[in-house]
Amino acid sequence: MHLSLVRHRFLQGLQLMLVLACVWSGTVRGQGVELAALQTSQSDGALNLEFAARVTLPPAVEEALQRGVPLYFVAEARLLRSRWYWRDERVARVSRTWRIVYQPLTGTWRVGLGGLHQTHATLAEALSAASSSAGWKLADLSRIERDSSYTIEFSYRLDTTQLPGPMQFGLGGLGGTGEWTVGVERVLRFETPP
Amino acid sequence: MKSSTRWGWIIALVAGTGAALVLAFVLSFSTQGSGFYERHFVWLFWLNVSVAMLLTVVVAFVGVRLVARMRRGKFGSRLLIKLAGIFALVGLLPGLVIYTVSYQFVSRSIEAWFDVKVAGALDSGLALGKETLDALATDLEKKARVAAERLAEARTVSPLALERLREQIGASAASLLAANGQVLLSAGGGMAEGAPERPAAHLLRQALLSGSASAVERLDDESLAATGAGPQVRALARVPRSEIALAPGDERLVMLVQPVPRGLAANALAVQAAYSEYQQRALARDSLRRMYVGTLTLTLILAVFAAVLLAIVLGNQLARPLLLLADGVRQVAAGDLTAKPVFPSGDELGGLTRSFADMTAQVAEARGQVQRGMQQLEGARTRLQTILDTLTAGVIVFDREGRIDTVNPGATRILQRPLSAWRGRRLSDIPELQVLAQGVEERFELLATSPEAGERDQWQESFELTRGDGATLTLLVRGATLPGERPQAAAERRPPIGLQADGPSPATRERAGARSAQAQPPEGDQESSGGRAIPEAKLLVFDDITEIVSAQRSAAWAEVARRLAHEIKNPLTPIQLSAERLRHKLEARLEGADQALLLRSVATIVNQVQAMQTLVNEFRDYARLPAAQLKPLDLNALAHEVLALYGQALENGLLRASLARELPRILGDATQLRQVIHNLVQNALDAVADRPDGQVELMTSVARGEHGELHAVRLTVIDNGPGFAEKVLKRAFEPYVTTKARGTGLGLAVVKKIADEHGARLRAANLHAGDQADGPVTGARVSLSFSKFAVTPAGTAGGADAIPAPAPGDATQVH
Repeated sequence: MHLSLVRHRFLQGLQLMLVLACVWSGTVRGQGVELAALQTSQSDGALNLEFAARVTLPPAVEEALQRGVPLYFVAEARLLRSRWYWRDERVARVSRTWRIVYQPLTGTWRVGLGGLHQTHATLAEALSAASSSAGWKLADLSRIERDSSYTIEFSYRLDTTQLPGPMQFGLGGLGGTGEWTVGVERVLRFETPP
Repeated sequence: MKSSTRWGWIIALVAGTGAALVLAFVLSFSTQGSGFYERHFVWLFWLNVSVAMLLTVVVAFVGVRLVARMRRGKFGSRLLIKLAGIFALVGLLPGLVIYTVSYQFVSRSIEAWFDVKVAGALDSGLALGKETLDALATDLEKKARVAAERLAEARTVSPLALERLREQIGASAASLLAANGQVLLSAGGGMAEGAPERPAAHLLRQALLSGSASAVERLDDESLAATGAGPQVRALARVPRSEIALAPGDERLVMLVQPVPRGLAANALAVQAAYSEYQQRALARDSLRRMYVGTLTLTLILAVFAAVLLAIVLGNQLARPLLLLADGVRQVAAGDLTAKPVFPSGDELGGLTRSFADMTAQVAEARGQVQRGMQQLEGARTRLQTILDTLTAGVIVFDREGRIDTVNPGATRILQRPLSAWRGRRLSDIPELQVLAQGVEERFELLATSPEAGERDQWQESFELTRGDGATLTLLVRGATLPGERPQAAAERRPPIGLQADGPSPATRERAGARSAQAQPPEGDQESSGGRAIPEAKLLVFDDITEIVSAQRSAAWAEVARRLAHEIKNPLTPIQLSAERLRHKLEARLEGADQALLLRSVATIVNQVQAMQTLVNEFRDYARLPAAQLKPLDLNALAHEVLALYGQALENGLLRASLARELPRILGDATQLRQVIHNLVQNALDAVADRPDGQVELMTSVARGEHGELHAVRLTVIDNGPGFAEKVLKRAFEPYVTTKARGTGLGLAVVKKIADEHGARLRAANLHAGDQADGPVTGARVSLSFSKFAVTPAGTAGGADAIPAPAPGDATQVH
């Protein structure tokens, strides 16, 4: 009886630890970004991804932005096929890069996505424009096999590697938990339609 | 050596790592591309710090070790510390100077970039651009208001009216918009553009709320670069409500679009770009400064530590051959001449160690040669000593002052004096040798002043020497001067080894050997007589030739005896026959006194002739003793046979015989031995003839060794007569030496001769009262020891283990 009690306590402790580990792993890269929506849809024979995030910039980042430093936000999604015998196979990988820059001359915020530019009057508008995407084609459905399980690794973050040289000073520190680390990661299970 | 190499490797590795990191650091500034180094600067920084710490630890360890070595007084540590210090200083000082200058330079440069005036100018420029654009916008907005009012007055809006309005106002395009931004009417604008685009939502909203709004659009590099639509100002104004009541929400808006002059836009954009750039720089200013200064500092630390380590290693490297050399010198000074290690390098230091090793080897070789020479010399010396010691001749070496320097055992034996005890004294100081010393001295002087022909540096002379015990020795003495030795050489000559003799030079050795052999003619090799003035060492070699003289005397006597016998014996028989014939013829004719006279005279003649005949016979016997025929015989039987002749003496107790039993048979000539016994007994009887209590004893005995082995068979004759005179005793067996008033003196000589033939030992001695050498003489003893035995059949006397011991046939042994 005493033994079972001990075992019970032990299992409880183990569970608690597991839960804590999950929470910690979820929050480790989630600074400043809240993922409001992340879902997949299928249309036109393709697997599409939709996401929407709310970005809250740390003061240092916002100040740099105010001073005219262009910031790059990168959304990346990878479709992985689970393999029990080997590393997961990467079926597709897509990424989008938004560039946000402040224009002091007109007091506007400019968001660029590829060759497309938009001008926004406020930072919040600009950020919301740069932090959501709909109908983002991830992969052709034809490449997706039935009877396989897939996962989608999604990440959205501030890309500090595209900052000007001197600004990157000390940003790549060990662990990457500095103020400039803004981003979120999420893993999504994708069930193949029956 | 191995540990230092390992240390060298470790240090080199650490220094190399540090240098590589620093290099990477420096490189990071020249390749600004990827920004990897900027991103990982902190990480690199700490890595460098840790390397620096490692270097510190190593330097501290090495330093502590050096200091500990110096404390212990280990050889060479001071030199090492000095060298390391110098090298470290050489590395440190320029590093410090460069660091200081660079630090100042970097700080000043970075400060100079961020000039307040530049910042102000940029701000002003930006503000200027902004004002200008704002002015454009405000102007267009006013125009839009005006246009809106006009439209409101006109009530109806036709495209034509709009066009007219546009021209009046001077805008490039004018449109009438619905409240939702939809273009209702439009005028102006390029043909290519088609319908004007809708305004931005926020602009529309603002216009609806506040009546008018304006914005500068497409002010960017891309629009400027494109040939089409460039930057433009857009203004919206709400058309005021007229009396014609419109439905709420059914508002109209006038939109005017005016392009911004391209030059103005370009300049404004340039200012904006510069401003952004400046702001970015300002943001990164501290970081830059930190990076530069940190890099510099780290570089300095690493460089200094590397310099110190390198200094220690180099110092070690430089000091090692010196230490090797110094160590070798110390060892050589301590007498260790083993092979010295060589420092394998081609420079002068390596050459120095090589030369030193060569030198040491040469010194060692030279020492070895000297030692070999010494050993040879010593061997020669011991050889010479042995030769001198075993020489039968006596050798005495005198030094320059004429004192005895070296004496060999032969000299001691011949002179019967412990001469070695008299070393350092003159020969004349020794009692009983004064005469000899004087003679020798005179002879040496004679040699020096007027040498005889044929003798240039040596002389030969025989001396008679009377010893304390009365015996007279005949010495054949040779003298020579030793070749001159230098005084200091003579002083050096005295070796530390306990040799009895001084080491003579090889020439002297040769000479001494030659002289001891006594067969060499005088040597002709002479040194120049330049050193004559200085008294020289002298060599004296002498032999006891008493025996030889005695033997010569015996031989001479034998010859005399033979001739006398020959010459005398022949007339004796005619004389005797003549005398007897005279008596025979005249006896009858004479009478009375004459007859008596005749008879007496004839008897006298016959007697004397017979006596003479006996004498002659004895001489003849002595001279022509036939060779002994050695056959086995019983000595006891022989003794009995001879004793039978002395019946009277036996009867009155004058003669006694005590013969040993079971006497082994010896090899001998019966006739000769009979004569020997006869002679001995007769001699003894003659000796005691005058004494009433005279007693003669004939003994035979067997001498056996410790283990019962047979040594000799002895025949002894003892009497209690007056004994031998001291003079005679030595030469008792020479012919014509006798104690008797009448006698030829040949009796014992014959005995001696026969004894020699038999290989027997003959001894004659006086008996002293109480067996003490200095007691009064109570008699004489003559003994004969036979050592040649007949091969006896087993079981007979002597036993199976009776081994005949061969005894040397010494001529005489005299006590």
